[in-house]
Amino acid sequence: MADATAASAQFFDMWRKQLEESTQAWTRMVSQAAPPAPPDPLAFWRPVLNQGLEQWARMFAQTPVSPDLATQWKQFLDQWIEAWSRVLGQAMNTDAFAQLMGKSLETMLAVQAPIKKQTEQAIEQAVSTLNLASRTQLTAVAKQIVELEERLERVEDGVQAILRRLDKERA
Amino acid sequence: MGQERFADVVERFTNGFASGGAAASPETVKQWQEELDRNVRRLTNLGKLATAAEPRTGQTPREEIYKRNKSRLYRYASSRRHRTPILFVPNLGISRPYIFDLMPNGSFIEHMTREGFDFYLLDWGVFGPEDNDLTFEECVTKILPRMARKVLETSGAESLSVLGYCMGAPLSASFVASHPEIPVKNFINMAGPIDFSQIGLFGLWLDKRYFDVDRFVDTLGAVPADLVKAGFKLLKPTMDLSTNLNLWWNLWNDKYVEGFTALNKWANEYVAFPGEFFRDWVRDFYQGNKLVRGELVFGGRPVRLRDIRCPIFVVGAKEDYIAPPACVRALIDAVGSQEKDYIELPGGHISLIAGRGAATHCWPKVSGWLAPRS
Repeated sequence: MADATAASAQFFDMWRKQLEESTQAWTRMVSQAAPPAPPDPLAFWRPVLNQGLEQWARMFAQTPVSPDLATQWKQFLDQWIEAWSRVLGQAMNTDAFAQLMGKSLETMLAVQAPIKKQTEQAIEQAVSTLNLASRTQLTAVAKQIVELEERLERVEDGVQAILRRLDKERA
Repeated sequence: MGQERFADVVERFTNGFASGGAAASPETVKQWQEELDRNVRRLTNLGKLATAAEPRTGQTPREEIYKRNKSRLYRYASSRRHRTPILFVPNLGISRPYIFDLMPNGSFIEHMTREGFDFYLLDWGVFGPEDNDLTFEECVTKILPRMARKVLETSGAESLSVLGYCMGAPLSASFVASHPEIPVKNFINMAGPIDFSQIGLFGLWLDKRYFDVDRFVDTLGAVPADLVKAGFKLLKPTMDLSTNLNLWWNLWNDKYVEGFTALNKWANEYVAFPGEFFRDWVRDFYQGNKLVRGELVFGGRPVRLRDIRCPIFVVGAKEDYIAPPACVRALIDAVGSQEKDYIELPGGHISLIAGRGAATHCWPKVSGWLAPRS
């Protein structure tokens, strides 16, 4: 009786061991054979999306239908905007972004420079044909006024210095 | 758990509270009434906002003391309990200085005059193409000394305090450091960038590897107001969204709407940079960090921050992304003063100086530090 029990226990152990090993072998095979996970196009935004969805779920989970819902909706939007702001801030705080911006500006200037020059020349010609003062001429006059003002100030300073000296001498 | 409750909410949306025979509580009914009332007021204020006249700003009484080209020096009416006058130097270009005197009971200048300070504001003005040759050096060696002398002349005081905000701080620090003959008793830096190696996003965008300032200025002549606006908007792209969301949320509140209209007027009024000034500002400060390095020479005089020996007070804002606190705080280590204090307050670059938070946190600190020294 005891021999029969021991034999059946041994057989059961063997069967269990075989089952475990085969399961492990299958698992190894399946995991090795599994194709690599496809790239997640939303990986960059995933934290923001998850945060938003969690917030949404939490809001609905805890909220009875009352005007408080609007408050929670506002809080949710604030957090959502803040999260976006943080993500955008991180994206803009990179050399790649700065480089891209620099290049865009460079392109803008390269396009704008000849257009600006030609437009200015055309306006200048049109205005002089009409016998009117051009922008360049008005700017030059304004500059002269500024310079005159400066000269006057220097004269004023000189006069005041002389007056102060005279006052001291009198005293 | 969450899905069950979500289902409950959908159930209530579709069938109301009738299931189970429970009626809405009086408190909920009251809340709904309040919400309805707010929405009515929101719509009323929205109509007012669309048709309202331009808000009145800068109402603290003042007189023009001196003008030089576009720049003006204003002296504000006050009881003048303190003997030492204050020369307030804000940023040149970018925005108008009425943010410091936005509206009654919400104005830094009004606070300072109520505290009995003889307050002078330097308004740099709005520059035109005829000012494109204005340089940083000219501001430091010609305009600021003249303004300081006018303050001393009109106040009859023997010395003055200089308070620089934003770009006004490096401008006035350069002036104080290079003009020992002007008796400056105290110097305050509010959110003014000093160490440009810690300036943040603008520093990266204006880095010489990516931004050719010479080409920029040579092509455009000046930096147009629209471009200045675009740069600042890009710094915080979600700002307009959150501003409008907060406006809608607080639209029922008349006080909020009043403050918003005044602030909004200021926030949309950008000012162009004179070309040569911008060239100097970017090349010597953002790209060269020459102020902290002691490499600036203006009017033949070296600008060394350690030559500043008067008591200084530096105020940084925790969430300032235009002049981050570390970049502002650098003045403390750079000057030769014995007495120097630094505080970091909640808020951003603008909320440090304007708004309810500023009235609570910042203004009393500034007037409190200055009063015993004036």
